[in-house]
Amino acid sequence: MAEKLDKHILKNGMVVLGEPMETVASAAFGFMLPAGAALLPTGCCGAGSVIADWIFRGAGDKNSRQLSDALDGLGLHRASSVSSSHITIGAVMEADNLTEALDLYADVILEGKLEEEQFELAKQLAIDEVLALDDDPRQKVMLKLKEQFYPPPWGRSTIGEIEELKTLTAEKTRQIIKDNFNLSQMIFAVAGKYDFNTICRQMEDLFETDPLVHCAPCPVTQTTKASKYTHLNNDGAQVHIALMTKTVKPADEDYYNARVAVSVLSGGMSARLFTEVREKRGLCYAIRAQYHGLKEAAGIMCYAGTTPEKGQETFDVITEQFNRLGEGISKEEIERAKVGLKASLILQSESSSSRAGGIGRDYYMLGRVRSLDEIKSKIEQTSVDSVLSFLRNNKFKSFTVVTIGPKKIKRKKKKATEATENTEKDK
Amino acid sequence: MQFKKEKLVNGLVIIGEINKSAKSTAVGFFVKTGSRDETRQINGVSHFLEHMLFKGTESRSAFEVNEAFDKTGAQFNAFTSEENTVFYAAVLPEYLIEVTGLWIELMRPALRDEDFNIEKDVIKEEIAMYKDLPSFDVMDRCRSLHFDGHPCGNSVLGSEESINNLTAEQMRDYFAKRYAPNNMVLACAGNFDWDQIRSIAENSCSKWQKQTVERKLEESPCSQKKRRVEKSNLAREHICLMSPAVSAQDPRRFAASLLGTIIGDDVGSRFFWELVDKALAETATMQFAAMDGTGAFCSYIRCSSEDVSGVLDIIRSIFRSLSESGITDDELKKAKNKILSALVIKNELPMGRLIDLGFNWIYSQRYRTIADDINAVKAVTVDDVCSLIEQFNPGEFTQFSIGPAQSS
Repeated sequence: MAEKLDKHILKNGMVVLGEPMETVASAAFGFMLPAGAALLPTGCCGAGSVIADWIFRGAGDKNSRQLSDALDGLGLHRASSVSSSHITIGAVMEADNLTEALDLYADVILEGKLEEEQFELAKQLAIDEVLALDDDPRQKVMLKLKEQFYPPPWGRSTIGEIEELKTLTAEKTRQIIKDNFNLSQMIFAVAGKYDFNTICRQMEDLFETDPLVHCAPCPVTQTTKASKYTHLNNDGAQVHIALMTKTVKPADEDYYNARVAVSVLSGGMSARLFTEVREKRGLCYAIRAQYHGLKEAAGIMCYAGTTPEKGQETFDVITEQFNRLGEGISKEEIERAKVGLKASLILQSESSSSRAGGIGRDYYMLGRVRSLDEIKSKIEQTSVDSVLSFLRNNKFKSFTVVTIGPKKIKRKKKKATEATENTEKDK
Repeated sequence: MQFKKEKLVNGLVIIGEINKSAKSTAVGFFVKTGSRDETRQINGVSHFLEHMLFKGTESRSAFEVNEAFDKTGAQFNAFTSEENTVFYAAVLPEYLIEVTGLWIELMRPALRDEDFNIEKDVIKEEIAMYKDLPSFDVMDRCRSLHFDGHPCGNSVLGSEESINNLTAEQMRDYFAKRYAPNNMVLACAGNFDWDQIRSIAENSCSKWQKQTVERKLEESPCSQKKRRVEKSNLAREHICLMSPAVSAQDPRRFAASLLGTIIGDDVGSRFFWELVDKALAETATMQFAAMDGTGAFCSYIRCSSEDVSGVLDIIRSIFRSLSESGITDDELKKAKNKILSALVIKNELPMGRLIDLGFNWIYSQRYRTIADDINAVKAVTVDDVCSLIEQFNPGEFTQFSIGPAQSS
């Protein structure tokens, strides 16, 4: 895995990253705009979704239709997403169309028409998306979980809150775009087939300005919330159980031990949760745990969906497996976890869009891009001892729990202070 | 890229497309069986059987199977549709032989009673999970309404009742008939040594017994029925429309796929401009679903219950305008660009390539290069798409909706 990393920083601080891939004919890119849910002003939850739509409704000398036609004419497969830190807009395409695509995206970022009439449509779609969450309890439970787990504003819903969206105005949203589309904090990442020199010259032409002193608003992290249980009533077929517990952040030296530990729990089909919850007991179809990290905080999150009468047993088995993890792990389990993580790394490295996303995220989280060799070697260095010692020093002290469904679950309460419980009226 | 093919005496076909520059390899079995091959009594058995293949062989327990896969770091899984069951893995080249050997072993499973009983609970949980996903549920129920008693309308998952009543014996009978070597294809794509794959398959699969297997391709109906069900816990209206289209074997499938993109791609399509861009529907997409001997255009629309009649009026007027005025050069050009770039991107990954390779063989018993598909898409003309609209009017659709209780 002798991959190469390209990097160039514009005068204004905007970072341009690239990972060339010899065997592909595609190119994928992403612009990470520092306008994620946590960076938005109070009362504007959901503005990210509106912005990600609105900026494509006309830019430069093109109206909405002309812009869309131009993007489609290049055969672009577009992707936009909102995370707690960024709005990421990007695309994957045949490499020959990259230059033209970047010109159009520069217009979208810098020259959006941002018309009032188009704002109302983008806002309505954002409201509809929030409403539709009620019909997708699996997604809703994970959003609620992050909201409950992360200290504000980092857990803020990336989709939005109805009441805040309703009061959002075009003027306010224009101001957010002005404040947050800050070139000095923007990261651009490309992967696949491209010429880095050409990319750099084009980026300089499109985005280079004099050094900026302006800084995007940086939210103050508030104190960690007390761990608690939230239940949303829903007369559905299953109870959707989500839980999350604190762990080390991506930049922590124990990060790889945490990743291997999560893989022992839920890396493959021989991992503990799948074996104990599904294979031995037939409690669920869907059961998984994964690492979820922000720059500011991180957790191990877990989801299971099961019929109401099995909810309690499912929850008990899951938490037991979390709690028993530190008691002992076999050498074979660690080996399987490591080989799984390494293989998935190599398999992902064949996809230009995975790599563009990966290098951009790395740079934001760590201030540098890890090579695949570095990641591989860090995974190699983990062992039964290192993972167990990590688990001893980072015990799963408490779980934030959210359930959606017809029936609540009961938690074993360790202390009276943990007894906070919410029941929200839902459909 | 180099294509290889071998057919064993018992009818098992082994195909491979070698790409030495790939970092990984994908390998899988394509079994030509799915819910359309089931009777009402055993509805859901194909999908249940897919789960049971992972439950072990005479010499391996379920856990040992999972452990053996996980030791290789393979990304492996399976899926069942109305007409195929596919077992696949993406793997690093050094583990390919091991993983291929595992798949071969699993194709002759133990199907133990005790595993069957535990897995029955998992299947019922999967049925419950999809009930909580109206976007899936509405498609499943619309398919059944559209095909109106034809086996293509059978549910892949089955119902809680059909699964409760299913016996392990019925499953073993079904397995013996459908998992015959002459009803299966072993396919491999990416970086691998063909001789190794061929010889492991020859050595291990030659003893499998050939069977008489058939699928009746009866004329499939389009009921054009309209039905709505209410669910008190829903917030939005979920609508599925289905109308007939060409089959997976029909050369016009490329034109059908372009028509699906023109009408219902998630951006830049007629649905997009008339419904989504105007915020009348949050989602409105159409896809062409090619099947064995038949096909369908399937649309999914999500909107507020108050907007349903307006949304459906617009959809009808889109279909009417297509029938009256056809499509434009510009629309076709954009749709081609989207489909061509999707083809290139998908086929860069051995896993993406495996799926096309396997299905081309299952449906047409022939090898198509990526260039063959690219040329076929490029060759489609406006007239081709217009004559398709004339023959398969998307305006004559079956409609199923699921939504919240309506206040009267």
